[in-house]
Amino acid sequence: MPPEVDIRKDGPRADDSAAAVAGLDALDTPTVVATPWWRRAIVTGLPPIVALLLFVAVWQLVWASAITSEFKVPQPLSVWDAFAEIVVDGSVWSILWTSISRAFIGFAIALLIATPLGLLVAKVKVVRAAIGPLLSGLQSLPSVAWVPAAILWFGLTDATIYFVVLAGSIPSIANGLVAGIDQIPPILPRVGQVLGASGLRSARHILLPASLPGYIAGCKQGWAFSWRSLMAAEIIAAGPLLGFGLGAYLKNGSDLSDMPSVIAAIFLILIVGIGIELLVFRPIERRVLRARGLALGV
Amino acid sequence: MTATIERTVQTAAVDLRGVGKTFGTGAGAVTALHGIDLQVRPGEFVCLLGASGCGKSTLLNVVAGLEEATTGTVELRTTRPSFMFQEAALLPWLTAGRNVELPLQLAGLGRQARRDRADQLLELVRLDGLGPKRPHELSGGMRQRVSLARALAAATSSGDGDGLLLMDEPFAALDAITRDVLQGELLRVWEATGTTIIFVTHDVREAVRLAQRVVLLSSRPGTIVGEWDDVQDGGPQLYDDITARLRQVITSHAA
Repeated sequence: MPPEVDIRKDGPRADDSAAAVAGLDALDTPTVVATPWWRRAIVTGLPPIVALLLFVAVWQLVWASAITSEFKVPQPLSVWDAFAEIVVDGSVWSILWTSISRAFIGFAIALLIATPLGLLVAKVKVVRAAIGPLLSGLQSLPSVAWVPAAILWFGLTDATIYFVVLAGSIPSIANGLVAGIDQIPPILPRVGQVLGASGLRSARHILLPASLPGYIAGCKQGWAFSWRSLMAAEIIAAGPLLGFGLGAYLKNGSDLSDMPSVIAAIFLILIVGIGIELLVFRPIERRVLRARGLALGV
Repeated sequence: MTATIERTVQTAAVDLRGVGKTFGTGAGAVTALHGIDLQVRPGEFVCLLGASGCGKSTLLNVVAGLEEATTGTVELRTTRPSFMFQEAALLPWLTAGRNVELPLQLAGLGRQARRDRADQLLELVRLDGLGPKRPHELSGGMRQRVSLARALAAATSSGDGDGLLLMDEPFAALDAITRDVLQGELLRVWEATGTTIIFVTHDVREAVRLAQRVVLLSSRPGTIVGEWDDVQDGGPQLYDDITARLRQVITSHAA
C-alpha cells in the first residue's frame, strides 16, 4: 500500500518533507578531511631532499675512496664550481633560455597539431583505423632516430631541432587525447545530446572537458618527450647556425673531456625537466583532478 | 465517448501512433516495441510500468529522439523533451549550479538570466546555496536532485510550449529511504511546475504513488496491455490489481 502524499506547498507534510530532505542531506553528504599544507609539504618535500643529500654523500665517498680516476668521477664540489662558473659569467641564462624557449615553442606547435589530430583519430573511425596504430607505434620510436634524417633534410638549422621535437611530442599528446576520449563514460555524450549539445558544441562542452584528465597526462608525457628529443637533437646537431643550448653545452664539455661541466649539464637538463613538470604540469593536473573529485590525496 | 477521444487527441502533449522499433535486420532482428498508441495530456504524470526487457526505456528514447522509431509516428507539442537517467550523470568538471545552467547556456540564455534561473531551480529541489558545490561533494540523493533541476532547466529552456520531462527509473539506484523522500519531492516539483512527465519504472508501488495514469507494457515485443486512469484515487485495491496483471504478463513468458 503506497503511503498517502500531501503535496500542498506549505502544509505540515511539506514542512515535514523539507525536514526529511535536510536530514538526509546532512547524513549523506560525503565528508572531506583536509590535511594542513605544511604537513603535505613535509610529506612530499622532505623525502626527495633527504634522498638527494644521501646521493651527494655517497658520491663524495666514492670520490674520496679514489676507486676511479678524478677524470671519470670528479668530486661534487668541482661540479658545483663548473656550475658556478657559468652562473657567474652569466652564460647559464642564455644556455637555459635557448633550450627552454625551443622546447616551449616546439611543445606549443605540437599542441596545435596534436589536438585536432587526436580528435580526428578518436572520433573518425577510418582515420583511427588508418593512422591509430602508427600513432601509438611512433611513441616507441626514439626521436633521436629522426636526427640524421632531419639534418639531411633541413641542414644544421633550427628547423632540424623543431622537427625532432615535434616528432617526439606529437604522438604522445595525440595519444593522450585519444585515450582521454575513449575513457569518457558513454552516459556523458548522451547527457550532452538531451541537453541540446551537438556537433562542435558537444566537443566544446562535453568531449573536451570530459577527456581533460587523459589529455593533460598526454601533455605531460608530450613535454617530457619534447624535452628529451630537444636534448638529443642539440647534442647531435651542433653548428654555427644553431644557438648554444644545454645540449651543446653538454657536448662541448664532453669534447673537452671536462667531466664537471658534463655532469653539471646533465643536472641542469634534469632540473629543467623536473622543474617544468612540477611548476607547470603538476598544478594543472592537480586542479583538474581535484575539481572532479579524483585523486584527493594528491 | 468519441468526442472526448478527439479532444484529448487534439490537445495531447505527446502523441504516439502505431510506434514500433526493431533493432537490426533479417534473422537477427529484435522487435523491441510494437504498435504503441499513447497520448499524454499536457501536465499529465504518466508511469510506464513493465518488467525488464519490455522496451520501456526504448520507448522513452524514441520519445526523446535519442532513437528513431521504425514504424509509426511520434508527435510532440512540447518544448524539446528533457531526460533524466537512472544515474545523476552530472558533468563532474562543473559545479552543481553550472550543471543546471548548461542547458540554458546551450539554449542561448544570457549569463545573469541563466544564473538566476539555476538558483531558482536549485531552490525548488531544496538545494539552496549549494550551487558552488562539485558533484563529488554531494550525496546520491542530492546529485539526483541536481539532475532533476537540470532536467527542468532543459525542459523549460526554450520558453514556448509546455515542458516535457522523461524519466528513466531515476530513483532505482538510490536507497529506500532516499527514494521515498525523493518521490515526495518529485510530486511536489511536478505540482509546482506543471511539467508533463513520463516516468519509466518496474516498481508498481512507485508507479501507483506517483502517477495519474499507469500504462503497463508487456515484454518482447513491448505492447501496451493495460492502462489505469485516476490512479491517485485508486487505493490499495488498485495496487493489487496492477501487480496481479504484471505478474500475469511475466508468467506468460515462462514458456
